[in-house]
Amino acid sequence: MNALAAYGLLAHGLIFGALATLLPLGELRARVALAATTLALLVGIAPVMHGTFGTPSLTLLQLAILHLANRRPSPLSFAPALGLLGFVALFYPAALGWGAFDPYALGYQPWTLLVALLPVAAALWWRRQDSWLLILAVDVAGYASGLFANLWDALFDPLLVLLALLIVGRRGVIRLIASRTR
Amino acid sequence: MMQMPDKLPRWLAPLLFTAALAGAFWRAPSPEAAALVPPPAAAPSALPAVFAAEMLPRVAASAHAASLAQLADGRIAAAWFAGSKEGADDVAIWYSVLGRDGWNDARPIANRESTAGGTFAHVRKLGNPVLYTEGSWLHLWYVSVAVGGWAGSSINHSVSTDGGKTWSKPTKLQTSPFANISTLVRTPPLPLADGGLGLPVYHEFIAKHGEWLRLSPTGQILDKVRMPHALRTLQPAVVALDEQRAIALLRDAGPGPGKVQMSATQNGGQSWEEGEALAVPNPNASVALLRLKSGRLLLAGNPQDSREAMLLWLSSDEGKTWQPSRTVESAADGGAEFSYPALLLGRDGRIHLAYTWRRQGIKHAAFSEAWLDGKTP
Repeated sequence: MNALAAYGLLAHGLIFGALATLLPLGELRARVALAATTLALLVGIAPVMHGTFGTPSLTLLQLAILHLANRRPSPLSFAPALGLLGFVALFYPAALGWGAFDPYALGYQPWTLLVALLPVAAALWWRRQDSWLLILAVDVAGYASGLFANLWDALFDPLLVLLALLIVGRRGVIRLIASRTR
Repeated sequence: MMQMPDKLPRWLAPLLFTAALAGAFWRAPSPEAAALVPPPAAAPSALPAVFAAEMLPRVAASAHAASLAQLADGRIAAAWFAGSKEGADDVAIWYSVLGRDGWNDARPIANRESTAGGTFAHVRKLGNPVLYTEGSWLHLWYVSVAVGGWAGSSINHSVSTDGGKTWSKPTKLQTSPFANISTLVRTPPLPLADGGLGLPVYHEFIAKHGEWLRLSPTGQILDKVRMPHALRTLQPAVVALDEQRAIALLRDAGPGPGKVQMSATQNGGQSWEEGEALAVPNPNASVALLRLKSGRLLLAGNPQDSREAMLLWLSSDEGKTWQPSRTVESAADGGAEFSYPALLLGRDGRIHLAYTWRRQGIKHAAFSEAWLDGKTP
């Protein structure tokens, strides 16, 4: 069995379960989460998500697990979501062929990236963002385990970016509605 | 922002991060400087003029994109994709071996179901396969798509240790941060001095360009390098000139009538630079490249405006200039297509060419350098 493929499938099952609990379910929340996760794995939803979005990052998986465990508020609030969107707005076009520099290639021999994570971790600790520091630690540990060939894949993925887009977009819509109803 | 529970000491997160970082530093690959396995010294080919051609077994209405390899026991093997039409659900990777009685019955070695079963991911269609022999291992790389067209492809890898009878479950190469899309393979890899492989691949989403994947001896991706080009280029075919230098000839992906494009590396594939376009036409079609026993280079491709002929060119100056050699097959009936060549130099000095024949099948031709030089069998 290919460990990365198995991870991707199971992670997408959990992520689908977490997405299902975004619905207002009240007391049924835990049961629906379990049912949705099981359903995703059994009826082919998780393989379709895996094929469409690729292997989920450990960051997204941890956020999904925190959400399933009903730990609120989510670490992925407006500011981190906006920061992620700003970063990928530069990263994705370059990694997908715009220009000569491919930042994704840095993740295969990620010495520079790992060194760059040191001040990021220090800043997170200084600002008491302990949840994000733990998430980052698990991401890096996931890379160290050999599960991911490229460090970037442990850190973020398109589904996480989509989630960040929804969070930032929702804030924008709420502000727009509020400004019109004044 | 969520805070840590009070019962967890605040030093726990930085401690875990430090431990993880130490592990990541330990695990991060630090390969030696890239170097190619230099080609053998040039020697004249003693084979007389020979030429023979035959069709591979017809397995479906549509067939395309053959690849060749010589097995450890010396037999020639071919893989290609075939089905009711390109991109159809029933397209599979087919495999056949050239025995004493000709090409044996072809059989599928990968399909949508087997690929989805190995990668645990939905697969919509399969495409280009590449075969490569490395000792007793026979590698197979092939592209698959989950959503959209060929620009949404990713590369799967499988290995056979029994000459293609059985294959390992495929694994996906992680080559892109965006849903792992848009890395395709078409041409065989080159061996590297450290025991790894350099796999020429290409990218089609947003931009079109060649890429070079450096693989470790265990198959781990160590590096991915672009072959920058002012034009849109695809499907690099690469030959090594020595330990550090190699050239890649690329399909001109348009627009308009094109020329075969060139990239070159001077440092074992660590970086690639754009070369001058060749004076060889390219109608936005795949080419194949081979270093011959004599040290000359052989290029297979199509004429300027169509895929209605399979042509060969020779170069005696490491690919700087090219002279037309032979027309393997041509037909001006409008629907003819002789395309997507694959070249292989057999250990006996014989040259093998496989190409798409009218999209209906795969044709194989075997010939010698003497035949390329105009001598008749």
